[in-house]
Amino acid sequence: MTTCSNCGVQLEDNMNFCPLCGEPNLDETTENIEYIKLRKQKQEEKMMTSFQKLSGKQKRKLFWEISGILLISGILISLVIDLLDGHGLSWSVYSMSICAVLFVNITLFSFLYRKIILSFAGSFITTAALLVLLDIFKNNIGWGVKFGVPLLLFAYLIVFGLVMIIRKAKEKELNLITYSLIAAGLISICVEALISIYQDGTLNLYWSLIVIICVLPVSSILLYIQYRLKKGTDLKRFFHI
Amino acid sequence: MEKKAHKAVRTDKFWFGLDNAAKIFPAVINKDFTAVFRLSVVLKQPVRIKAFLKAVSLSEERFPYFKVQLKKGFFWYYLEHIPLHFPVEFDHKNPCRRFAHNGLLFRIMVSGKKISLEFSHILTDGTGAFEFLKTLLALYTKELALELPRDFEYLKPGEAIREEEYEDSYKRYFREDIPPIIKRPKAFHLPGQLKSSPHFEMINTILSLKDVRALAAKKKVSINDYLVSVYLYVLQEIYEKLKHIRKYKKCKYIRIQVPVNLRNIFPSKTMRNFSLFVMPGIDLRLGHYSFDEILKTVYHQIRLETDEKLINKNISRNVGSEKKIYIKSIPLFIKGFILRMKYLSLGPKQYSGVLTNLGMIKFPPDTENLIDHFVFTPPPPNKMTKVACGIVSFKEKLVLSFGNITKSNELEERFFQFFRERGLEIHFENNKKHMS
Repeated sequence: MTTCSNCGVQLEDNMNFCPLCGEPNLDETTENIEYIKLRKQKQEEKMMTSFQKLSGKQKRKLFWEISGILLISGILISLVIDLLDGHGLSWSVYSMSICAVLFVNITLFSFLYRKIILSFAGSFITTAALLVLLDIFKNNIGWGVKFGVPLLLFAYLIVFGLVMIIRKAKEKELNLITYSLIAAGLISICVEALISIYQDGTLNLYWSLIVIICVLPVSSILLYIQYRLKKGTDLKRFFHI
Repeated sequence: MEKKAHKAVRTDKFWFGLDNAAKIFPAVINKDFTAVFRLSVVLKQPVRIKAFLKAVSLSEERFPYFKVQLKKGFFWYYLEHIPLHFPVEFDHKNPCRRFAHNGLLFRIMVSGKKISLEFSHILTDGTGAFEFLKTLLALYTKELALELPRDFEYLKPGEAIREEEYEDSYKRYFREDIPPIIKRPKAFHLPGQLKSSPHFEMINTILSLKDVRALAAKKKVSINDYLVSVYLYVLQEIYEKLKHIRKYKKCKYIRIQVPVNLRNIFPSKTMRNFSLFVMPGIDLRLGHYSFDEILKTVYHQIRLETDEKLINKNISRNVGSEKKIYIKSIPLFIKGFILRMKYLSLGPKQYSGVLTNLGMIKFPPDTENLIDHFVFTPPPPNKMTKVACGIVSFKEKLVLSFGNITKSNELEERFFQFFRERGLEIHFENNKKHMS
């Protein structure tokens, strides 16, 4: 009889490994004691590294810090180069505002990871502001408010819905592709509808209908494949009351 | 009756609905409130792993109703057979962790001299888990070639599995036409900040059963009554020590939830949940209670509340609501919300602490000689109750196991202080320095 050096249970002499924790069964000779010690140490180290592994929150914070450094230095560099040019602020407003909005978005999604509605809302507002700014920077023809912001709103709503559905989905296989395809179809309808309203003042749908008509059969085939392979649930069991 | 039991063993996909007590749990379980309790036996020698693994594999066929996983139906959750072997793990992680989806609802763990079982309350209660441990220990004794008397009663592999073991006994003893129970006012809850997740920490202490029995006998009450009274007394001390303004804010009823094994009241051999609880308590609005006064009221309250008729009333309340067609026909995802709300108002809001006693454990001599003591840890308490206590006695040892989710150990310390003042020694199983 020997005792497992790791989990402390008694092992039969003919056991090479502990059936409980999988450690090798070694006699406590001087040579082995060294080895056992080393293994224990290694295991502890393993535990330490897994313990030291960053949590999701820490990882997000790290990502935020790195992207913050990159984006802010991007803003500063473009500002300096643009100013050195001697014509005052010109092209750098684009890169600076894009970097700033990107940074705000990364901040929102890093720190409001769990508050998805809030982070989506914040992201929408800043990106909408960016579109309006871009419009103002370039001729101010009004496309930002009339076309950009509504399109952005629909895109956000659809993507938000998609994210929520994916989060709730129990199975994450082909059905996710289906949901994404349908979302893409919906976005194309919105794009065409808004363009036609913006340009002609009337709602005319043509190509986006073709997109959605193509998407639907593909989606249903994917869903069929996804659920065809599953055994039919026993209805009595499922609906027991 | 026998037919279904055999069918359950043979067919791959048997299933049954959750029993009345289990129905609430899937809706309220989360990472910290896991509804998983732990029953451990500490042997005198390290576990002989080969013999133990053999005992586990022999026990498997006797407990088919434990080989189940939790599934979602449209109206209710249900338990469905899952063809997995009973897993034996090395016990080195946090206790009473939640069970993963699509897996068994219990685990067997070993570390050195300690064998621990962790069961989800969805599956069974302390008595059901203990029956399983009894079989494991009996088979382990046999595997070690020690003597196990033939007349020792345990669930033996190879014998017919009774249909009764599968049943929801609440339903059997449910009587209609019984009036609903009156809702109790909100109870006092311990102050204290929660630990960061995972909150749960257990402190196991060993007391001399002889000494505790002598203390209880002096007051002519049972050990259970005595410990409930100590719990109430200690909570009263904590309440009285609060600053005036906080005292004003807190509710003034102190109640302890004491689970009662209904198998002792109604004849049932079920291996699923079949327990209810009584809630002895004191009303602090009436002034300070001396320990003797608490003992007196607890003694009478427990006897009054375990009256068969009153228990019937409780069963009827619980089962009755489950039987109503308009409740039955609410889809599960809506039911979840309702159950979560109901759980707080009917459950933890009403009591200040939990004290669950598995009682005195006895085994044949050869098995007893293997064992040092048992530990029974209740499920991690919820955010309101914060601390819970499990008790089990074996030979000369009474083991108190406190599960705590707060940063403070005041309740436990006062509990131990109470016994120290009466000349008892407290031994800590897991060497908590600040309290030894």
